Amino acid sequence: MIAVAVTDVTVAFGRFVALDGLSLSIEYGQVHGLIGPNGAGKTTLLDVLTGKSRARSGRVTLDGGTDLAGLSEVERALAGIGRKFQRPSVFEALTVFDNLDLALRLHRRSLLREIMVRRAAKHAAIERVLETVGLAAQRHSPAGTLSHGQKQWLEIGMVLMQEPKVLLLDEPVAGMTDTETEHTAALVRSLRGPERSIVVVEHDMDFVEQVADRVTVLHEGRALFEGSMADARRDPQVIEVYIGR
Amino acid sequence: MSGVLDRGTLTAGGLLGLVIVLLPLSALGVVPLPALPIYGVNLLGQIMCFALLAMSVDLMWGGAGVLSLGHGLFFAFGGYLCAMHLLRTAFAETHVLPDFLLFMGHGGFPSWWSLFDSPATTALAILALPALLAFAFGYVSFRSRVNGVYFSIITQALTYTAMLLMFRNDTGFGGNNGMTGFRSVAGLPAGSLPAAVLLATLSGCAVLVVLLGGRLLLASRFGRLLTAIRDDEPRLRFLGYDTLWLKLAAWCLSACIAAVAGALYVPQVGIINPSLLDPALSLEIAVWVAIGGRGGLCGAILGAALINGAKFWLAGAAPTLWPFVLSLLVLAVVLLLPNGLLDLRNRSRAWMTDLSRGPLPRLRAP
Repeated sequence: MIAVAVTDVTVAFGRFVALDGLSLSIEYGQVHGLIGPNGAGKTTLLDVLTGKSRARSGRVTLDGGTDLAGLSEVERALAGIGRKFQRPSVFEALTVFDNLDLALRLHRRSLLREIMVRRAAKHAAIERVLETVGLAAQRHSPAGTLSHGQKQWLEIGMVLMQEPKVLLLDEPVAGMTDTETEHTAALVRSLRGPERSIVVVEHDMDFVEQVADRVTVLHEGRALFEGSMADARRDPQVIEVYIGR
Repeated sequence: MSGVLDRGTLTAGGLLGLVIVLLPLSALGVVPLPALPIYGVNLLGQIMCFALLAMSVDLMWGGAGVLSLGHGLFFAFGGYLCAMHLLRTAFAETHVLPDFLLFMGHGGFPSWWSLFDSPATTALAILALPALLAFAFGYVSFRSRVNGVYFSIITQALTYTAMLLMFRNDTGFGGNNGMTGFRSVAGLPAGSLPAAVLLATLSGCAVLVVLLGGRLLLASRFGRLLTAIRDDEPRLRFLGYDTLWLKLAAWCLSACIAAVAGALYVPQVGIINPSLLDPALSLEIAVWVAIGGRGGLCGAILGAALINGAKFWLAGAAPTLWPFVLSLLVLAVVLLLPNGLLDLRNRSRAWMTDLSRGPLPRLRAP
């Protein structure tokens, strides 16, 4: 089933065309890898999905119905699009636990009711995610004291608290050690589920090969290739523009 | 709760409680304390108002990372509203119009001033109107995502504009002479010891309420959301929070506190004029908070009390020295105590360990 359908989307910044009539569908139950050289439009695509950038033309729909163009960043987040940023973005002064507490929304319609929720009401869900991302021992540490890798996991955990339909991970293993990368690969694979689609933007091709069911290779704002990572590695065009000989 | 009542808060709260209880009791003669000097009581009351003002800035700056350099606007707004009430009560007693109205050739108060006859409507106006102004300004700024230093500059510009407006005689609030000639405060003769004690006690109560209430608020989920805004606002937005409303709520509350501070301040000094809208005052509030220490409200009280206490003292002892003392203090805090004076204990511990280790191995004479 298709979670997000991107149809003929063009994004331009001045005269620079970041996405050039891109069409792409992201399906439930899969991990979809987005790869391509710098400037290919990977992050721009995530920006369009989350509302950080606006498309000049084209349509983006969620679940075949909702047209995302009319929704703000906040509304899209509430509609089920969660994003982990390239640079780890966590609330450094708050504890790991409180970071997750804020990320969990029990009352999506009312900010006031959300603020009034008792802490205990969120406890079980937070403990579950703490286990999932492996930060249970750090629950009372300020997020600012975590290592780079742990911050990445915390941010993934925060996005998970939103129970997103579409989970966008922008370079989840950038700057991680090999062990941390392996741990993250296992985490991403474990997050795959029939109700969720996961998009991973990453330069580490071995990581993408480990986690992705399908990859799209972007080049100059267009989809150059779509298929499995193993096939991508053999594709002459992909080798030409991205992998190199 | 331990987060709400830390050592600083308990100390500040205890001192405030003592003042609130002892001041009226000794004024009534119940507690045999040495005669209260009216000057001292008045000074204490003024400093309390500045502490309130500093806390209102700290709530936004320490809480949400939004620095206002224009809180003098809300302070003065509250002050003007209170002064209007005091002039109406003075007129009811003497039936003599204030000078500024006579000079402008008015035969009486503009009719809408009668709204300020009652203390209740005045209090309501003080709580609501500055908050309303803050809402309008905040909505426009926060919606267009004006952040950081740009926001600070706009607040300053707004205050300056208000000052120019109030300097005009035509605006109708006394121009650069301002409004003065208050006769009585809540039935007590203005400038008398009972009035000074009443106002200082009220100011003390307000400081205590805002300190405890503010710390409870900052420790709540709302406060944590403000911290999240300070740390990474886009992240919070992508978690599905419309940060506009969170910031607006804190901003309006902050304006409201500043207005109450102004309303308590004006009867104690007996005059209000546009000098309260001088950008220099608004800048100074940020200096009090920075020197005391941001984020916990105690630092704001400490900074406001210390700086203003020193200012009053030096204004008599060596008035020309004051700008130098203030500048040196700011430099010292920026260089040595970036988190303000409240951080002195932690910092000094670190310095002591550094000292005991010694900077470099020393050469000994053979």
